Amino acid sequence: MYGTLGLSHRALDDLADAAGKEAIAELRSLARPIEGLRVLNLSVTGFGTGTAELLTSSVPLLTDLGLDCHWQVVRASEDVAAATRAMYQGLGGVHVNWTQEMTDAWQRFAAMNAGLLTESFDVVVVHDPQPAAIRTHVAHSDAKWVLHSHLDLSSAQDDVWLQLRSHIERFDAAIFEAPEFARGDLSLPVYIIPPAIDPNSARNMPLPDDVIHTVLQRYGIDTAKPLVCQVSPCDVASGLVGAVDTVVSLRRRIPDLQLAIVLTTEPQDPPGRACYEDLACRCADEPGVFVVSMVRELGNVELNVFQRAASVVLQRGLRKGFGLWVSDALWKSKPVVVGPAPGLLKQVIDGRTGLVAENDEQFEDAISRLIADPALSARLGAAGHDHVADHFLITRYLRDYVQMLDGLMRGA
Amino acid sequence: VLATVPTTPKSIEDYRPVIGEERTEEILALARELRGARMVHVNATAFGGGVAEILATLIPLINDVGLHAEWQVIKGADEFFNITKAMHNSLQGMYHDWTPASREIWLNYNRINAELFDDSFDFVVIHDPQPAAVLSFLDERRGSHRGTWVWRCHIDLTDAQAETWDMLRPHVERYDGAIFTMQQYVKDDLHGPRIFCIPPAIDPLSPKNGDLPPDVVSEILLRYGVDPLRPMITQISRFDPWKDPLGVVDVYRKLKVEFPELQLVMIASMASDDPEGWSWYEKIVRRAGEDYDIHVLSNLNGVGNIEVNAFQRAARVVIQKSTREGFGLVVSEALWKGRPVVAGNVGGIPLQIDDGKTGFLVSTSDECAEQVGWLLGHPAEASAMGARGVEHVRDKFLTTRYLRDYLSIFRDLRRRDGQPSPHPAQQVPR
Repeated sequence: MYGTLGLSHRALDDLADAAGKEAIAELRSLARPIEGLRVLNLSVTGFGTGTAELLTSSVPLLTDLGLDCHWQVVRASEDVAAATRAMYQGLGGVHVNWTQEMTDAWQRFAAMNAGLLTESFDVVVVHDPQPAAIRTHVAHSDAKWVLHSHLDLSSAQDDVWLQLRSHIERFDAAIFEAPEFARGDLSLPVYIIPPAIDPNSARNMPLPDDVIHTVLQRYGIDTAKPLVCQVSPCDVASGLVGAVDTVVSLRRRIPDLQLAIVLTTEPQDPPGRACYEDLACRCADEPGVFVVSMVRELGNVELNVFQRAASVVLQRGLRKGFGLWVSDALWKSKPVVVGPAPGLLKQVIDGRTGLVAENDEQFEDAISRLIADPALSARLGAAGHDHVADHFLITRYLRDYVQMLDGLMRGA
Repeated sequence: VLATVPTTPKSIEDYRPVIGEERTEEILALARELRGARMVHVNATAFGGGVAEILATLIPLINDVGLHAEWQVIKGADEFFNITKAMHNSLQGMYHDWTPASREIWLNYNRINAELFDDSFDFVVIHDPQPAAVLSFLDERRGSHRGTWVWRCHIDLTDAQAETWDMLRPHVERYDGAIFTMQQYVKDDLHGPRIFCIPPAIDPLSPKNGDLPPDVVSEILLRYGVDPLRPMITQISRFDPWKDPLGVVDVYRKLKVEFPELQLVMIASMASDDPEGWSWYEKIVRRAGEDYDIHVLSNLNGVGNIEVNAFQRAARVVIQKSTREGFGLVVSEALWKGRPVVAGNVGGIPLQIDDGKTGFLVSTSDECAEQVGWLLGHPAEASAMGARGVEHVRDKFLTTRYLRDYLSIFRDLRRRDGQPSPHPAQQVPR
């Protein structure tokens, strides 16, 4: 048996306020043909990743739509976990030394997990490529198999990718989050399903001003002064030092400008630790620059507070993927300024739903324009909210999923 | 130099309304005696965990009362941190197979950090075992060191592996002072430093403990699928056998017969690389079965400071069913919110709970169920207990008391002339 997760019930109707009654009704009618469909979602972990977050929201909602939807987590021992972590990094374009021992451990992991598949399902969705070889080891399966990659595989390390590809080819379909993240060298049907935010999560719930005010005060932030906020992982690509440079330099024009950097990951490796040290050194003796690094204790409501409190939400850069917290900010009608990473550009259309900047000068200009021009900020924020409502809400994700499953069952 | 951890500013004046005039003035008077003193705290990580949480509050407050305080983190690579993790576990009683090579790695990184260390502070507080040998290397290199050095041990050393403690002890014995969390954690064979005890404390103004409007509390519960209109009990802890999470589910089950509306919220604080926590999570989920009034949540799913605050405030009774515990500071967090707490009679819990007055101390699941049931059935008495708990925490377990303890230790240890310490040059113990 795979690992089980304890999920709270969710009612689709609770999303009517955010997504509209029509969207809910449409979803229900689209789901009717696949009512009772037995779907197993298999993932590498149940916690702490964007994949896990999407499943936490979507699985109970698909259940409410009448599917017999399950989410289980593959089993891994310590040596195997090391191999899947290395594979994850290699797939993301970080060079790893992929060894024969890793291949052996990874194959053992797949074979062992294949043996754990004892129940019968109509569809098995494997989330992320690391467990893909399980499919190969399942001798007889009447189920349709779908690989849902939440990773950007475009720059995957060759030997790691080739290892995987033949296994992925045995699937009935693959899902990528964006065309840019997919591989050209796959011959199976590919669906594009971008990720989505849950408007009802604690990260997006409305919060009274006094709560926002109090929490910021507890971090020493002055709510009367303008605040730039960047929420992001602690890695070099996030441009954390650049964010400090931008804000410090902008103080010539906006003397009381503050910056809050809210870190969402703990550095686990030498480059990550170096990134943190660089940031810490850059912030030394910079009053008005706040680094919040209580990663383990910082929850959805606090992230919500920081985004709501921001005059401008900044994302200087992004290593990979979507950076979906930008959509969380847009949903709150915040003006955002982002670097030109592919995932960010889906959410921020320059001049319409936010501003895109490519160098120090442009970042400074964009932020000062937004702070000087509340009408522009409000217009971009409102358009950003609408953009997220149309493209990045969980209801849209569910619709894509239901349509994908329906198509799959019809053999389309 | 070592990297300085950025902290966010805090003001002692914000605490005056919470702790009152007398306690505030006592702190300010102590601080005046130490005005201008320069102090550095050194530990292994700026991220997460109890030590980082404490320093994030303590450092800005020390600065605010007129001293200069910094928080620095040591440098190290994976080989070092793997060893210090094993060292930490072994000091808590897990066996570690030391090799000459692994000892050498630990010493080597301490040497490197000693070389990077800015030895100009009046007070140096070294936290936990990772950087404990920095002082030895300063002495070896320079024949002396500046300032007053204190080793702050946050670990319960009662069951420490002898070999590991013997390796650490000679380094610690060079310090002027050593601070432990509780008297029973102090090793008998530690000679040299003056021994102090500072129990941990909570920050009443932090997002985890500060006031939250009731409507926001209810709204947060709803977002996690919990009904704010029905009674709820909660346990917030790591998922491991010593917190008896399965026993908590059993207690809830037993009470569910009498209180069919009852809900249980279990909140785990887990590390992403904690296989044991994950396996206990699964056991709890299985024990919960098809009962959707049991909610199993985790920090890894975004349940953070404010969520914990809300769940503690909303709970009718907070449980901490530990069978083995360090200090169990989560008990004070709950008491501070005016909730009665039913908790295991172990570790630092009896210091926080006055049995029958601010909660109940229990040793078995049956006792636990009985006391929680009684509190559920007697809301007026439960509120009275909660109110007494608030005063107990105000007196003993707030971060301002922690600050005061530190200041008074520094005052006691300060050498009048500020001259380099008289430690003769010696070789580093190996």
